[in-house]
Amino acid sequence: MSKIVVDGQPIDFFDGDSVALAVLRAGQHPHHGGTLCLAGDCPNCVCEVDGTAFVRTCQTPARPGLVVRRHPEIGAPPLRTIAQPDVTRTPVAAHVSVRRTEADLVVIGSGESGLAAAARATDDGRSVLILDAGDGNEVVAIYGGPTVIVRRPDAMVHVHADDVVVATGAAELHPVCPGNELIGLVTARAAQQMVAAGIELGVAVAVGTAPAGADCTAVSGTLVRIEGSNGHVTGVVTSDGAFRCDTVVLGLGLAPRDMLSRMSGEQLPVTAVGPAAEKFALPPCPIEGVVCPCSKVTIQDLQGVWDRGFNELELVKRASLCGTGTCQGGVCGPYLRSFVADRSGSDPEPFTARPASRQITLAEASADVHTDVFRRSPLHDEHLGLGAQMDRFGSWWRPWNYGDVVAEYWAVREAVSLGDVSTLGKLLVSGPDVVELLERLYPTTIDDIKVGRSRYVLLLNERGHLIDDGMVLRETATRFVLTFTSGGAANAEMWVRDWIETWGLDVHVLDQTMSLAAINVTGPLASTLLQRVGLAEPPSFLQHLRADVAGVPNHVMRLSFTGEASFELHHAADRSVELWRALMAAGHDLGIAPHGLQALFGLRLEKGHVIVGMDSEMDSTPRRLNMDWAVKMSKPDFLGRTALARTNSMPDERRLFGFTIEGNAPMEGSPITVTDPSDVAGSEPYIAGHVSSSWTSPLLGHGVMLGWLKRKPWPDHVTIDGRVATVAEPPFYDPEGRRARA
Amino acid sequence: MPVPDLHFETLHGTRIVASPTTLDAVTWPPGTSAMRFAPDDVFVLTTENIGVSGEHVIVAAEAGISGAWLSAEQLAHVAEHIDWPLPVDRPTLAQGFIAAVPAKLFLTGTSTASDGGDNVALLLTNTPYVDELRERLR
Repeated sequence: MSKIVVDGQPIDFFDGDSVALAVLRAGQHPHHGGTLCLAGDCPNCVCEVDGTAFVRTCQTPARPGLVVRRHPEIGAPPLRTIAQPDVTRTPVAAHVSVRRTEADLVVIGSGESGLAAAARATDDGRSVLILDAGDGNEVVAIYGGPTVIVRRPDAMVHVHADDVVVATGAAELHPVCPGNELIGLVTARAAQQMVAAGIELGVAVAVGTAPAGADCTAVSGTLVRIEGSNGHVTGVVTSDGAFRCDTVVLGLGLAPRDMLSRMSGEQLPVTAVGPAAEKFALPPCPIEGVVCPCSKVTIQDLQGVWDRGFNELELVKRASLCGTGTCQGGVCGPYLRSFVADRSGSDPEPFTARPASRQITLAEASADVHTDVFRRSPLHDEHLGLGAQMDRFGSWWRPWNYGDVVAEYWAVREAVSLGDVSTLGKLLVSGPDVVELLERLYPTTIDDIKVGRSRYVLLLNERGHLIDDGMVLRETATRFVLTFTSGGAANAEMWVRDWIETWGLDVHVLDQTMSLAAINVTGPLASTLLQRVGLAEPPSFLQHLRADVAGVPNHVMRLSFTGEASFELHHAADRSVELWRALMAAGHDLGIAPHGLQALFGLRLEKGHVIVGMDSEMDSTPRRLNMDWAVKMSKPDFLGRTALARTNSMPDERRLFGFTIEGNAPMEGSPITVTDPSDVAGSEPYIAGHVSSSWTSPLLGHGVMLGWLKRKPWPDHVTIDGRVATVAEPPFYDPEGRRARA
Repeated sequence: MPVPDLHFETLHGTRIVASPTTLDAVTWPPGTSAMRFAPDDVFVLTTENIGVSGEHVIVAAEAGISGAWLSAEQLAHVAEHIDWPLPVDRPTLAQGFIAAVPAKLFLTGTSTASDGGDNVALLLTNTPYVDELRERLR
């Protein structure tokens, strides 16, 4: 005879046995007591099965060697953990695949009412899919669509349906009275299953409706309590008397098994039929005993939360946890309602059901569900090879540093350095209306940009708030390259396309963000390096040109974010590794080193350059950012102009300031505290803003910051991190911009 | 269903952005696969000059898209990660998330692989997504 192993002990089972039946056949209880329904409605047979906790053993076929461990009597089974040495990699987990299918109608439950609904739909020529837990298709959720989520032993199945019929029948009521956690309690249907499986009930009495076919004595009266010894039933007391027995068979009534239809709400085409749709009478309100076997909530616990003012069903549920456990109200739901009805005088509707209706594993819940995808630049492996610590920024993996941020900083300031800026947004726009488009889109003038020249631009929304920034580079009279920030590129593309369509302009757009890679060559020796690799005449500041660099065709753009002379080399993505290696090799004796984002953030902060989304807020206008210089209000129209014309004439206390501080810079996000100089002595300091960017400058030898002050009067000194900081106008480095233009 | 790693390669081609009527009128050279990413945007699997021109037409070499040819079995595996119905017409281009990665399927219906194998579809994605997509489809 085959065996399963329960808490380390082999137990025989017969063909067709569930795990729960095998355990009962051995004279044991799968849990530590409580009424068994053997229908998957209650929590009283859940165990850890083959390493998975909270498995309903009554629904689990026994098979040789299956390992079962009972859960603790009180509390949850211990969590298993897997060491994750590198959280930045996709975690290796138990693989559960997802299959997807469609049907005109999904019928959940293959009982009489379900089969009838399926037959009617088939007669109407509709495709029908019948899902029944007994066939291994356990429906655990219904989502919008509707989409029916099915757990199978081999996969999760997502079924897209036009309509769903819930024909899941009715569950049997469990007893709520003293002694209802003893061993020896079964529902009427469970008793029939046990008898059919040849399992002895011993001396059995039936309370309520006695089951047909089970050898038990029906007793009269309503249930008062169950008596026991050493955890086992020894008798039952009804309103008519006391009866000695080994097993109490309980036929106390039914409740609709309607969780799936309640889960779907009224807005989805989901219909309950048969017993699942019936309105059964609520059981009498219990006086004593455990109402919720999952969370061990007693009737006294319910009274306690009721007395504290939680006087609605949903509130009682949340405050007591009754209905939030393994069975999700399958056992306690009717009694919870009868309790609230008794105390309030009106019968409440059942509480909201939410996915999942059954305990599913994390692997099942996350099957084919992925985190946001983060892109890798063509230079990703180069960065790893150089020892970069990669991190996620703006939907890309980017090098944060290469192990020595200060060395990277000095390479930029004193030698030459490479930065991977492949992640920048890059749009090519062309068409007869392109100048009109850009004049409307940007708050600066466009038509006066000469071919081969470029301009820094802000991108504002209709409210005049900054949503992105970048460069506009003119290629021909009617063709431009637009660049955007890495994080803002996707929105910017949609923004540009939307306005082209809205304005009905004739402009073609090609998004080359992922087609082109880009390397920023920056530092006082950048020109020298480029000349070595074939760029005889690098462009001057804000010029751009097409040229081969180290044999790779490039669009070379002269600009600066670091404060040093900088050349962005935009080229075909599949040539980027070749170009990077050529530059690194040619710059070896020039002290070349790559720099990561950490150094870049510090370098640009010394120049006072704003990073959109880091230094700016959702409602940052150019004035608040001290960037009015990038706005030409003399232009007749551009996005945001109307709003700016209005708000610029209004008082505004918000402003982005620069700060310096002795020693190391405080952390980004630090509060900025101010003592109002106009206040009387003794007034309390208040938080006037926060630090948006900070950097301890190796060159300057102190901390520099950008941060917001949101209340006037704007002071000359503030307190950050318990230290005095001085308000200072950026840039903190090379304010004349000589190095960038060199 | 375990499948071997998908073999992605850079698809060297040409992007052409022009008015839909201009693109509708183009006759692609025989044997050239042309995939219409949008009414005004076509990706042609050739780097040869295909004669679409005009002052405002954008014709740009494209090297930022990678592709992997799929057998029928591999396509079935990939389809398990697609939460939208695959079109039945062939040949056709389908676009959407595959395992939550933006991707496209060029469904040929018959073999078009250069090696003459039994490939029925070309799975495309932007090259920056390739590693993640390959990992997710394992």
